[in-house]
Amino acid sequence: MPKGASLFRCVSVSKLSVLQCIQSIIGEESYRQDTVNQWTAKIVEQALTLLVKQTKSYKYIVSCAVMQKSGAGLHTANSCYWDTVTDGSCTVKWENRTMYCVVSVFAVALTP
Amino acid sequence: MEGTDTGGNTYLIRPNYHHKFKAAVVKECIHDILREQLSGVQYDPDEVGVLSRSLADCIKDKLKDVGFDRYKLVVQVVIGEQRGEGVKMAARCFWDADTDSYAQDIFMNDSLFCVAAAFGSYFY
Repeated sequence: MPKGASLFRCVSVSKLSVLQCIQSIIGEESYRQDTVNQWTAKIVEQALTLLVKQTKSYKYIVSCAVMQKSGAGLHTANSCYWDTVTDGSCTVKWENRTMYCVVSVFAVALTP
Repeated sequence: MEGTDTGGNTYLIRPNYHHKFKAAVVKECIHDILREQLSGVQYDPDEVGVLSRSLADCIKDKLKDVGFDRYKLVVQVVIGEQRGEGVKMAARCFWDADTDSYAQDIFMNDSLFCVAAAFGSYFY
């Protein structure tokens, strides 16, 4: 049974791997409207693949928002109705000179 | 057989049709809440953090009342200022496509845009 403690240990590992994943896909790039679709799709797919490889019995939801830097503000909030002992989430923020990227990972346990 | 014992297993691998997470119903709920709470609201950097949190809680509570028993819910709300910038949001889920689903809606006015997504995951 996946316990809260093991989830949070793997959350900190996930944060690092998600950051590396973002860096490898858009690290050197500038915001471009015609490619941003592909980037977000690649980021969520790679992040999901990384998490699934950990082979813990969880369902995952990964969401990614990429925004051009223009001086505007952005806020993200989430509210979850789940079992706080076994389920958890983490959010990763990344930026470069031209854009921001926010990736949220939610993990929902499978067996009680 | 279901509903009374909310903590343990029910050994039902599929919800019946009435208890399924219906994306259309959820989208309607989200749409109503966003329209009601954000019409006429201007982007204010001090308040919008609290606003997005309260929107997420409000949507989650509304969905609980609609009555998706045996579903775990995740609601994500993103609010940003409108300055003509480009934004793209994507999500991928690793779940059971027969039982789990999501719904999303977007609200825009002159000064802000808001994206709300609700994900439902069946608890077997």
